[in-house]
Amino acid sequence: MVLIFGGAYQGKLDYVLETYKLCKEDVYRCSMESVHIDYEKKVIYGLDKFVYACVKEGLEAKELIFSHLDDLRDSIIICDDISQGIVPLDRDEREWREANGRCMVNLGKAADEVVRVFCGLGVRIK
Amino acid sequence: MNVFISGGCKNGKSMFAQEIARDMAREREVPLYYLATMIPGDDEDRARIRRHIGEREGWGFTTIEQGRDILDALSQEGVDSGGVFLLDSVTALLSNEMFRPDGITDFQAGNRVSQELLRFAEMTGNTVFVSDGIYSDARIFDDYTECYREALATADRALAKVCDQVVEVAYGHKYFYKGDER
Repeated sequence: MVLIFGGAYQGKLDYVLETYKLCKEDVYRCSMESVHIDYEKKVIYGLDKFVYACVKEGLEAKELIFSHLDDLRDSIIICDDISQGIVPLDRDEREWREANGRCMVNLGKAADEVVRVFCGLGVRIK
Repeated sequence: MNVFISGGCKNGKSMFAQEIARDMAREREVPLYYLATMIPGDDEDRARIRRHIGEREGWGFTTIEQGRDILDALSQEGVDSGGVFLLDSVTALLSNEMFRPDGITDFQAGNRVSQELLRFAEMTGNTVFVSDGIYSDARIFDDYTECYREALATADRALAKVCDQVVEVAYGHKYFYKGDER
């Protein structure tokens, strides 16, 4: 498993497609309106959006993902880093930030490789 | 050498950028320019500008006021494009270009400013660009803010691609994504 993270619009998906020689058909795009993930796809993009959908449904995203850990052995997961702003006033956004943090910490532990993308440039931190 | 510096607010980016620019100008024995991008809107802005001017005193900077149309700075009288330029910041420049004084929002500003900045880097060859990392909030922003964040990232990524040195400053600590440490 590879975990790719970085701020919004930093070019994470472009970095993945280029580095791992993949195309758009390999990508599952998560939605803020759905707690579904297609684990058949090589790349799971926008995990933060999936986490937000889970918060809205009252589900713990980390539990859902880790129940599919075997499906994720060869996956590349891309997630926005949403951990560095002001504490949100909105309750759902606060819960989102925390739930996303729990996912990232645990996925980071489970991943074979972790890459941070900054302005399109990737740095392998694990 | 073109340099791109970003990172969180109040982390020491500006001071680091000033040092790089000053050392580059000394080494090459060329003029040193500060591109002032802030267009003051109130007393708070004017006080901030006064503080910044004070912090640059004695560094040898010639200040060029250029809040928009950054390439025009190079055609100002007496400006030598072979000098060293400090552009602090890309963030303020884009804000001025996108949210115009006549109240109109230019949603295309991101691409236009990116092209102008790339041209500026190419024409001068010795510019230090300072931007801000504003991409890690847990917030769902309004369309204007989201458009601005995306536009700034477009400019940041374009510059990071062409600059010889790319540095993230985190509380005074410098991480070099590209180019060796001085």
